[in-house]
Amino acid sequence: MNGEIIFRKDEISADDFTKQIYKNSKLDYSKFYKMDLLSKFAFLGTEILKAHSKKITEYGDDEIALLFSNSVSSADTDIKFQKSYLEEGSPSPSLFVYTLPNILIGEIAIRNKWFGENLFTIFPKFDSDFFANYCNILLSKNTEACLCGWINILDENVDVFLFFVEKTEVNRINSPLNSEALSILYKK
Amino acid sequence: MTSLKEDLKKQIIEQLNLEDVQVSDIQDDAPLFGGGLGLDSIDALELIVLLEKHYGIKITNPEKGKDVFYSINSMAEYITSPKG
Amino acid sequence: MKIYITGLGVISAIGTNVEENYQSLQEEKTGIEKIKFLSFDSVVLAGEVKLSNDALIEKMSLKNGFYSRTSLLGIVAAKESWGKNSLNQSIRTGIISATSVGGMDKSEKYYRQVLQKETTDISFILTHDSGNTTEKIAKELGINGYINTLSTACSSSANAIMLAARLIEQNKLDRVLVGGADALTQFTIKGFHSLMIYDNEWCRPFDENRKGLNVGEGAAFLVLENEKSIEKTGNKPYCIISGWHNAADAFHQTASSPDGKGATLAMQDAMKKAKINPNEISYINAHGTGTKNNDLSESVAIKNIFKQNIPPFSSTKSFTGHTLAAAGAIEAVFSILAMNNNILFPNLNFSQSISETELLPQTKLQQVENVKNVLSNSFGFGGNNTSLIFSKI
Repeated sequence: MNGEIIFRKDEISADDFTKQIYKNSKLDYSKFYKMDLLSKFAFLGTEILKAHSKKITEYGDDEIALLFSNSVSSADTDIKFQKSYLEEGSPSPSLFVYTLPNILIGEIAIRNKWFGENLFTIFPKFDSDFFANYCNILLSKNTEACLCGWINILDENVDVFLFFVEKTEVNRINSPLNSEALSILYKK
Repeated sequence: MTSLKEDLKKQIIEQLNLEDVQVSDIQDDAPLFGGGLGLDSIDALELIVLLEKHYGIKITNPEKGKDVFYSINSMAEYITSPKG
Repeated sequence: MKIYITGLGVISAIGTNVEENYQSLQEEKTGIEKIKFLSFDSVVLAGEVKLSNDALIEKMSLKNGFYSRTSLLGIVAAKESWGKNSLNQSIRTGIISATSVGGMDKSEKYYRQVLQKETTDISFILTHDSGNTTEKIAKELGINGYINTLSTACSSSANAIMLAARLIEQNKLDRVLVGGADALTQFTIKGFHSLMIYDNEWCRPFDENRKGLNVGEGAAFLVLENEKSIEKTGNKPYCIISGWHNAADAFHQTASSPDGKGATLAMQDAMKKAKINPNEISYINAHGTGTKNNDLSESVAIKNIFKQNIPPFSSTKSFTGHTLAAAGAIEAVFSILAMNNNILFPNLNFSQSISETELLPQTKLQQVENVKNVLSNSFGFGGNNTSLIFSKI
């Protein structure tokens, strides 16, 4: 969180990493366990941001735009879904539901009852130019804040980076979101 | 009949990813939907898959599912009753 | 500033180019029938493009290399749309494409072979990801500027069109080739069956007895330009894109809310953007998948906004099937065809109104005096709702 480590994975625990974070964050959301890994990480990341920065919850229900991206789309879940009909004989509806990367945005919207706009893009790697440009476009219009994220998950590889951009801050420092600065934050 | 209901509860917990739920938490006659378990329409579809996977019974009309999946009792009854 | 549409390209179950698609629409001839090319373990109705992969490769005179069906369809439509455009240093050009399936059609075929160790060639994996489809298209046309790929389920290409319009409006680009492509796969057909929203008969959008959707495949691309670009290219515009909006439904991962909130917001704010009133909409090309859920939710949203004055509306998915990520773009092309020819396309297979809303779609092909503004809806899984408005210049 902002460069500081707030929780480390317990390698010995029977619970997987997402369950550990969920319990540690003292969350109570029964729909959590049904989500796929992409949605779980996006959800957890958002909850942690909210816990850290209460003002996120003070925005109106259509003022926050959700902008997410990754390179592998929903491949992790796609493979699990394929297995369900190739190896287990019947396609699993609960897995099929998650074979689209933008569902993670849906989960965040459902949890927070946010009706603003949302978009999911595919890039070969984290593209700070895209995020900077698009956030600036959105903030110059009716959007008040952008919750953005790079959620890339395949097998054991997890690369998650979320950030929250506010129009009030952009106006205060009188400078649009800067792509290079974003790139540096991501690398950290 | 009792072990069938026990089995059903275990299978449901596993199939629907109900991580923090124990077998003892699910009452035989309690409504599965609209109750404390928080099940939704996708869970109903997974229960259809469960019936086919574990009991070889195929439900093709999702509307029928509403009666069958009302509670553990109704599920057990459907499984053990003769099919026309 | 005005954003012009100057290029159209489409391939679907009802035709391999704009002319053929328009012909089928006029003849009220559906393209949904038993699948021929995709291998599947049971008989299924779908909107399959009537050309095999080999035929598509031959049609486009493609060289060696690995092409997923999605890429092939995309290349056909992109080429038709791009037409005689060429790259020009002073025109900032981009390409935005959308897909949900990507190269899945090849992957699922070869995955089994790899599993069974029949082959160790994994070059197909390179075509699996969504971004590769866009890159293949960009390479075919020689576009190397801004390249972007979107994946937001059924509203993907509508969102792509919206993104393209915004980039032009914000003066980041002057010309954008934008659209989407999706091929039929076992993955999606099985998936929709598992959700029990697949109709084994021909889908019946907005009908009381509708049972679900038929999946379709296809691709469509549009060329968007600003005035500066048109002055240089000399392209003749078909129309303008005057309004757009995207909103979240925030209700369920795959079902739409019963009060149609996301859909209402999308349509309403698209009209606000276009600065037009509901009574100025001449025709709605609805999302209308034929599922119990969408058609009710969309009907409720339409009633919310238009109240007693419902404009003529129809779902062309009864012709093409639900083409997933390509739907937004394919239906944008159909909307523009409707506008330029002052014609309303029929909603096939309709016999009885949905009892809760009692709306009556356009059931016959009809020539009218003036189709001035067309509203096109694309509502995707994940509660991603997008509406676009095209208007006569």
